[in-house]
Amino acid sequence: MRTGTTGSRRLLQLAAIAATGMTLVACSGGGGDADAGGGEDGGTITVWMDQNRADALGDVIASFEEESGTTVEVVIKEFGDIAGDFVTQAPGGEGPDVVIAPHDALGNLVSNGVVAPIELGDASGDFQDVAIEAMSYDGSVYGVPVSIENLALVRNTALAPEAPATWDDLVATGQAAVASGSAQYPLLVGLDPNTADPYHLYPLQASYGGPLFALNDDGTYDGSDLQIGNEGNLQFAAQLQQWGADGILNLSISQDIAKEQFAAGASPYTITGPWSLAQFDEAGIEYAIDPIPSAGGQSATPLVGVQGFMLSSYSENPIVATQFITDYMASEEAQTAIYEAGDRAPALTAAFEAMPADSPTAAFGEIGADAVPMPNVPEMAAIWDQWGATEAQIIGGQGDPTQLWTSMAEAIQSTIDAG
Amino acid sequence: MSTTPPIPTDAPAQQRASDAERIARLRQPRMRPGRWIAEIGWRHVVGLAVVVFATFPLVYVLSASLNPTGTLTGSNVLFREISVENYVELLSDTRRPYARWFVNTMVVGVVTSLATVFLGALAAYAFSRMRFTGRRVGLLSLLLVQMFPQLLAVVAIYLLMQGLGDVFPILGLDSLAGLILVYLGGALGVNTYLMYGFFNTVPASIDEAAKIDGAGHARIFFTIILRLVAPILAVIGLLSFIGTTSEFVISSALLTSPDNLTLAIGLFRYVSEETSTNYPVFAAGAVLAAIPVVALFLYLQRYIVAGLTAGSVK
Amino acid sequence: MAAPDTTGLRRPRRLSGSLGLLAKIALLAVVDAIAVFAIMLLAAQGSWIVVAVVALVTVVVNAVYLVPGRFLPAKYLTPGLVLLGIFQVFVVLFSCYIAFTNYGFGHNSTKDDAISQLIQQSTSRVEDSPAYRVTVVENLSGLGLLVTDPDGDVSVGSAEQPLQRLDEGQVETEAGVAVAADGWTTLTTGQIVQRQSDIASLQVPFSDDLDDGFLVTADARNAYVFVSNLSYDEATDTLTDTDTGVVYVDGGEGAFVSPDGEELRPGWQVLVGFENFAYPFQSQAFGQALIGVTIWTFAFAAISVGLSFLLGLALAVTLNDPRLRGRNVYRVLAILPYAFPSFLSALVWLGLLNTEFGFVNQVLLGGAAVPWLSDPIIAKISVILVNVWLGFPYMFLVCTGALQSIPEEVTEAATVDGARGWAIFRLIKLPLLLVSIAPLLISSFAFNFNNFNIIYMLTRGGPRIGGIDENVGHTDLLITLVYKVAFAGQGADYGLASALAIIIFVIVAVISAISFRQTKALEDLN
Repeated sequence: MRTGTTGSRRLLQLAAIAATGMTLVACSGGGGDADAGGGEDGGTITVWMDQNRADALGDVIASFEEESGTTVEVVIKEFGDIAGDFVTQAPGGEGPDVVIAPHDALGNLVSNGVVAPIELGDASGDFQDVAIEAMSYDGSVYGVPVSIENLALVRNTALAPEAPATWDDLVATGQAAVASGSAQYPLLVGLDPNTADPYHLYPLQASYGGPLFALNDDGTYDGSDLQIGNEGNLQFAAQLQQWGADGILNLSISQDIAKEQFAAGASPYTITGPWSLAQFDEAGIEYAIDPIPSAGGQSATPLVGVQGFMLSSYSENPIVATQFITDYMASEEAQTAIYEAGDRAPALTAAFEAMPADSPTAAFGEIGADAVPMPNVPEMAAIWDQWGATEAQIIGGQGDPTQLWTSMAEAIQSTIDAG
Repeated sequence: MSTTPPIPTDAPAQQRASDAERIARLRQPRMRPGRWIAEIGWRHVVGLAVVVFATFPLVYVLSASLNPTGTLTGSNVLFREISVENYVELLSDTRRPYARWFVNTMVVGVVTSLATVFLGALAAYAFSRMRFTGRRVGLLSLLLVQMFPQLLAVVAIYLLMQGLGDVFPILGLDSLAGLILVYLGGALGVNTYLMYGFFNTVPASIDEAAKIDGAGHARIFFTIILRLVAPILAVIGLLSFIGTTSEFVISSALLTSPDNLTLAIGLFRYVSEETSTNYPVFAAGAVLAAIPVVALFLYLQRYIVAGLTAGSVK
Repeated sequence: MAAPDTTGLRRPRRLSGSLGLLAKIALLAVVDAIAVFAIMLLAAQGSWIVVAVVALVTVVVNAVYLVPGRFLPAKYLTPGLVLLGIFQVFVVLFSCYIAFTNYGFGHNSTKDDAISQLIQQSTSRVEDSPAYRVTVVENLSGLGLLVTDPDGDVSVGSAEQPLQRLDEGQVETEAGVAVAADGWTTLTTGQIVQRQSDIASLQVPFSDDLDDGFLVTADARNAYVFVSNLSYDEATDTLTDTDTGVVYVDGGEGAFVSPDGEELRPGWQVLVGFENFAYPFQSQAFGQALIGVTIWTFAFAAISVGLSFLLGLALAVTLNDPRLRGRNVYRVLAILPYAFPSFLSALVWLGLLNTEFGFVNQVLLGGAAVPWLSDPIIAKISVILVNVWLGFPYMFLVCTGALQSIPEEVTEAATVDGARGWAIFRLIKLPLLLVSIAPLLISSFAFNFNNFNIIYMLTRGGPRIGGIDENVGHTDLLITLVYKVAFAGQGADYGLASALAIIIFVIVAVISAISFRQTKALEDLN
């Protein structure tokens, strides 16, 4: 492209004008198209969900689209990102009409004003009680629960043929298996060296000290009455250190190691949730799901996590979005589809009872049905941090358990007061 | 350094550099073993030691990626089993379009690094060859402004891109073009400084000679200077490419839809979700992700290695 | 880039200016077109300040390239500077603005949004009230609800007109539900979809007594009786809890507060002055921890850079011998840690350093139980070790480049003068090298000062320091601490994060600026 002589100025100017014109056309054309996309007959709603559930709900969404004439635009996001992105994007108008989110994010979502309450009417009786409790905040229900997940004791039936009747039973069987060389660990609980894992340790704690907050009559939390420093919990703290010293709990065993070792048959027991079962099945071990035996006398209930569809308070399509949530996501078809895809128990009682009784998910579900939901107050993020770090220090033997636990309880109390 | 004579113009720099190496080798065809150890042998020892230190974690990842079972922590016996199962799973997972992420990463990395090299070279030329008020302060400010912790400015970046997206939808959130623009905001800065140093080693007499021949500043820059500083352009290109492809904070804030992710974000999701971690597949993805960077390094290495002034100042 | 074209240098005159001119004009045209388009769009949105800025920048850019013979340096600097201005400088300024607001958890939108959300949240169904079947209808006064109660009785009402019983003759029913009434037009599904925001916010009073509540439909098919126990009074700008009588007033800090200090969530964004900047100085324990963290941050950055540089330089010198066979292989292998995405490497090291199962303890140390990441001191050593592993290839790269930019003559002249290997290196090469590398060391220091990934992925700042309310750990850097304080507490606090970012920035920038002076790195600029 070497022309050798000086080019014609006129030509250059023409080229410049043409370029300007083309760019303008291109830009405005693009803008016009984007605007034209929105206005279909039945409107369009945007739903954020994870890939797993989007695959499961394909048919249900298709029938909703057909029956309502509405276009459902499903935006696939990583489940863990949804709640955070929702809070950031909804006020700017970038958010969706409907999201799926874990119930423990609810306090955060409500405090940021991004979710709207949904009146389920009489339909609320159709769901598992624990699921409705979980989706409630400050007296209102925010969304339709779809699945329930919780921890239980998974037992390797080759190493421990019988369900342990008591905690001591469990420890004795575990230690015997280690002593005989058939296993390496009496029990596997996935922990982090610096932040332990309050969620996985909670059933043990509950058997000593009861819930984190006092409970109201209706089974919801009384956020103003912190119970984490009570006498029972102090006993738990002391016991935690003992378990650490005895090797029942081991900070070097991460979630992944716990899963992998259990799948390799290295321990008769592990405390885990339904999400680990696929790996155990793949490894081909025989296992059974049992309630976690009580270590401290009270029942060792796990914390329940509930996932549900919620309505954005910034939605410009509230009617259609509500119909989508209450009529379609609450249907047995949708709930069963999600259960089959994700191994988590459905929240709708009809779908829950339709699960094969001998399935592992049903066993997890039975255990969760009597449990309490994870607290959903927004202060929980800070509380998990403090709670876990203290548990790690206690298990690692870095100080007096009572003292560590008490100062943690005070710190958590001041976090709540500040909030 | 400006006392050196003007450069002869008969052969490209890297050609002469490899000539120099060849001559250096020929000069000492044979050495006594003792001398070989003293002058060359120990270098192999040091090189090997560093290579072991540098690569053992990566060998570990490679081993994990070939092991069909296990976690990153649980596979301490290297290469216990060898299977491409994880790679097959990685590439066949429609929910996590790895191939797409790979392409995205290459596009972002290549465009950003080329543009960074170009913009940086333009600026370095001005700083090196021209005298103007604010030059010293300008160069210093370029270095300083990049010290703002971007992690904590990510909210501002997010809001800026949201606003930009209202005007130009293709540059807004969840757009690779927008992400590239954000990266190019950092094109000046340390890179400019690095280039500036190298530009200074090209004798000003070369410019002057060209100027006497009637060449304008633009022609001197594009046809003479750029060629002479090729090694530093390669280094900057490489650094920029590496930095871009492993950047995480901004890209994970801006990109959302699965088809638009880059490798760094996409791969992180293999291990970030407690309920769906898959270390072996993550390891496979990480191994493949490292390949383009290594390939680029191999390709650019002759520029990086062929000394700049070593060639031009003979 | 530099295509090996041997003819260009010999015959520079052949490269005509017209090609460059064409490119220049074409590029300017594109830039102007985009600018004009943006200005039109922004003007339509009413963003006049942005319009002015875009126009000004466009004029300046055109002037720079079109006015002959002037602004020569600007011709080369402008493209980079414009991008720098938008994506770095503006972002920093924007962060400064955010630092003076309470933007973040519970304060992420406008006051209007907050009021409507508070009222929405306080609206609850009257206990034990029945469900009503409704049809959305309309007359001249506006939207209304045609209501069929559980007993089959039908009434109609609108926002202004409480529910009124209708006689059977006035309505048309289908499957027991009234679908049309005299004097009202029934909305079609399409109309419902189009006006759904209006319908969802329609409140039909149940009776003349407002305490009986109002009917609201969320799906245009069912309605329930709701009461709201918050009412907003525009004249006094207060929210009143109708159950308790408590009056919430705008406390000036972006939220409604009751007389005894209870704050309603959500609030909204307001400017809060220097409050965010004062945060670190409020609690003494936190302030002390902050000093410890600051010292460790400096130590971490300095040691990381120092060790990486020494290792990188040593390797560069070692491999910088043309007689060394296979040095390219060494080079490529040594660069690998840098080629691997850094936070992914951190995850790998996390596994390698596991006390009981990690490769380092189990295989390299034959079953030792070194608590790499959970002992306060060893954890510090570990993070530095990993950071050196990540950082030395970069130093190796730039040192190799810098070594090779030192002219052969320098070495040769020294050799002639009788200097030997080590002396040549120490007295001649190293000073030359440092001149070109020093700024990179400083910028590398600044990078490591804010090296969030490695700390957060490896230890999350832990092990935790006891006795402090805040979650401060032994390996926390300022940036991870800020991140935890600002984001991991009760949701994000962008205002606080921005303020702390500015404080960190000022610290790093001041130290770097002083270092630049000290090293006289830029002295040849004078």
